[in-house]
Amino acid sequence: MRRVPVVLSAVACLLFAAVLASRIAPAADVQEVLIGELLPLTGNFASLGQQYLWAGQTVEDIVNNDYPDLAVPLGPGKGFPGLGGATMKLVVRDDQSRGDLARTLAEQLITVNKVHWLNGEGTSGNTSIIQPVVEGFGIPMSCHPCASPTLTEKGLQWFWRTGPNDKTMVASVFAFLREWRERGGPSDLKTIALFTCDNLFCQDNRKIAAELAPKSGFEVVLDLTTKTGATTLASEVQRLQAAKPDVLFLVQYPPETSIFQGDAKRAGWMPKVIATSNGAYSDQTWLEAQKKTNGGAGWLGRDPTAIDLVHDRPSWKKVNEIYKKYSRGQNMGELAMREITGMLWMADTINRAKSVEPAALAKAAGETNMGPEQLIIDYKGVRFDKTHQNELASGVVTQVGWDGEKHTIWPWDLARRANFKVLYPSPGWQERDSKPKPAN
Amino acid sequence: MTLLLQAVVNGLEMGFLYALVAVGLTIIWGLMEMINFAHGEFLMLGMFGAWWLSVTFGLDPLVSLVPVGLAMYALGVLIYQQLMRRVQRGDPFTQIFATIGLLFLLQNSAVAVFTSDYRYLSNTVLTRLSGSSLRLLGVSLGVPLLIGALLALGLFLALYLLIDRTEFGLALQATAEDREAAMLVGIRPQHMFAVAWGLGAALVAVAGAILSNFFAVFPQVGLSFTVLAYAIVALGGFGSILGTLLAALVVGVVQSVTTVYLPPAFKDAFVFASYILIGLLRPQGLFGRF
Repeated sequence: MRRVPVVLSAVACLLFAAVLASRIAPAADVQEVLIGELLPLTGNFASLGQQYLWAGQTVEDIVNNDYPDLAVPLGPGKGFPGLGGATMKLVVRDDQSRGDLARTLAEQLITVNKVHWLNGEGTSGNTSIIQPVVEGFGIPMSCHPCASPTLTEKGLQWFWRTGPNDKTMVASVFAFLREWRERGGPSDLKTIALFTCDNLFCQDNRKIAAELAPKSGFEVVLDLTTKTGATTLASEVQRLQAAKPDVLFLVQYPPETSIFQGDAKRAGWMPKVIATSNGAYSDQTWLEAQKKTNGGAGWLGRDPTAIDLVHDRPSWKKVNEIYKKYSRGQNMGELAMREITGMLWMADTINRAKSVEPAALAKAAGETNMGPEQLIIDYKGVRFDKTHQNELASGVVTQVGWDGEKHTIWPWDLARRANFKVLYPSPGWQERDSKPKPAN
Repeated sequence: MTLLLQAVVNGLEMGFLYALVAVGLTIIWGLMEMINFAHGEFLMLGMFGAWWLSVTFGLDPLVSLVPVGLAMYALGVLIYQQLMRRVQRGDPFTQIFATIGLLFLLQNSAVAVFTSDYRYLSNTVLTRLSGSSLRLLGVSLGVPLLIGALLALGLFLALYLLIDRTEFGLALQATAEDREAAMLVGIRPQHMFAVAWGLGAALVAVAGAILSNFFAVFPQVGLSFTVLAYAIVALGGFGSILGTLLAALVVGVVQSVTTVYLPPAFKDAFVFASYILIGLLRPQGLFGRF
């Protein structure tokens, strides 16, 4: 019987040594770098999740295969050279757009699948739910398209974001409206109505807009929050119509945006300017559908990149070709571009760390200083502030033209390059109906 | 006053469409007392069917509602025969879990086949009429929704006549009321249940085909309507076709009027508050019987 404690101690020592060995394994031993991809592939946010999955598969393809002429991190060569050629492997999990499930799956990815980095969840609300889990386990995590400012304002040690947050992007819209007035734009834009959905993303946008509107010379005449999943918005449109705002600041998801369009058309109402922030404006399928009706003409909104100018970049074209292998031929939208940019930064960080040790990865992330030439998006680069927010991520303002495409209208230097005349006032419904449709 | 009147009219127009969505549930849940959580997924399939027939063969949803309705009738019968007939013998919870499973199966199959992209119909008879309206006493009636509402009303009346004025309808009601007694007079309950499932699925799919003119088509679209449909059936009285129509109009008007005067967050709260209120005064619903 006296042998039992000895045997148990020996086993414990062996286990401890094994765990220790696994944590400090030399770089050359890593065959695969496991990236947990926790995404809303089904449920309410599935259309976002699938774009993020395609983006992740694109980055996995770029890292694991040799693209000698592709001027993005880890484009040339196979695998991670810093890790002896180890490959990247995505471990994909679907949280069905549910925060509770996302939390459980995050735990499983870390403890069962032993991922080295967790990327996700793609929506700010569910990301904020899994952040404490990941923080507790102490592994790096990122969500690049998540735009809620709160995600990087909690003082978290293990969370990074390369994409701009809503403060940056909503501020772009109001900067445009303010400066436009000063640069000979319409001087009669004085009132604004906020029309937003009820989740974290929409409400963050609403709060920022409510703060910035008076500072930009606008009186907020109506502030309406609607339920996500509404079946009609006719009464809301009635109230908007009665409030007569010059500018409508609309943040809604694609289904609600199309309901709004139907109800506004029925009521014959169109404000002078429709300004948006993400939501339907970032959804490629919504944009494509507008080409059949001219429904999007004149809508303006923030984007993380000058999407009309970025097409000229050779690296964008090549990455887009790879993306289309996974997206059933669909071009990258700006959400996919944000995600790919972020995941390529993550791959670069892992490569520079020459290790999958969390501390080494965090150190490499902190030392990031990427120039714009390595990116497929118009950020000024990637460099993190003390909250782990990319301080070089920037926003632009675009407007949908009669061709159904987005054109950059702010900042002014990019607008000059885009050479697009701002559509003002927002065309009425009859004009939209009578003009030729780009898709027909 | 015009604001209120406009809100009432808007609510009535939507109410007719809600009625068509809910009436299939009235038959399956209200009349046959079988729970179907996949009701919204039948609506989604109807919307996808109309969208697919439109982009593939150029069929207008007003035409494709016929093949969509027939296909969904067959699917409804199949689901009853292969799934619900078996679980019908068990505990009500078995039915609940079976239809929840069906919900996920249908929704995720749609994701696999069509992806989660939002689809829109733009070149249909009703979308081409969008923006056209009739003015009456200062109130605007949107023509596309009005046509949708009239179609819904027509289908509703046809169903009412079928259920209340034909031998088949009486047999359906008899089966719901007392299965053994119905068997004694030569009615085959399993046949009646299968027809009820077929009718329920077909009706909500037809509603879906009409709604595809007004709403984005995507795999999760059914959920918002399912919750309302359950409230409408309970409010109208289980198994009452006319009750469903009236309750749907009430729900449409309550939603619309509430939003004109209160924050939109109260929209659905007031719908369910009216259900609670009517439940307190008439627990069997507006037209239900104990």
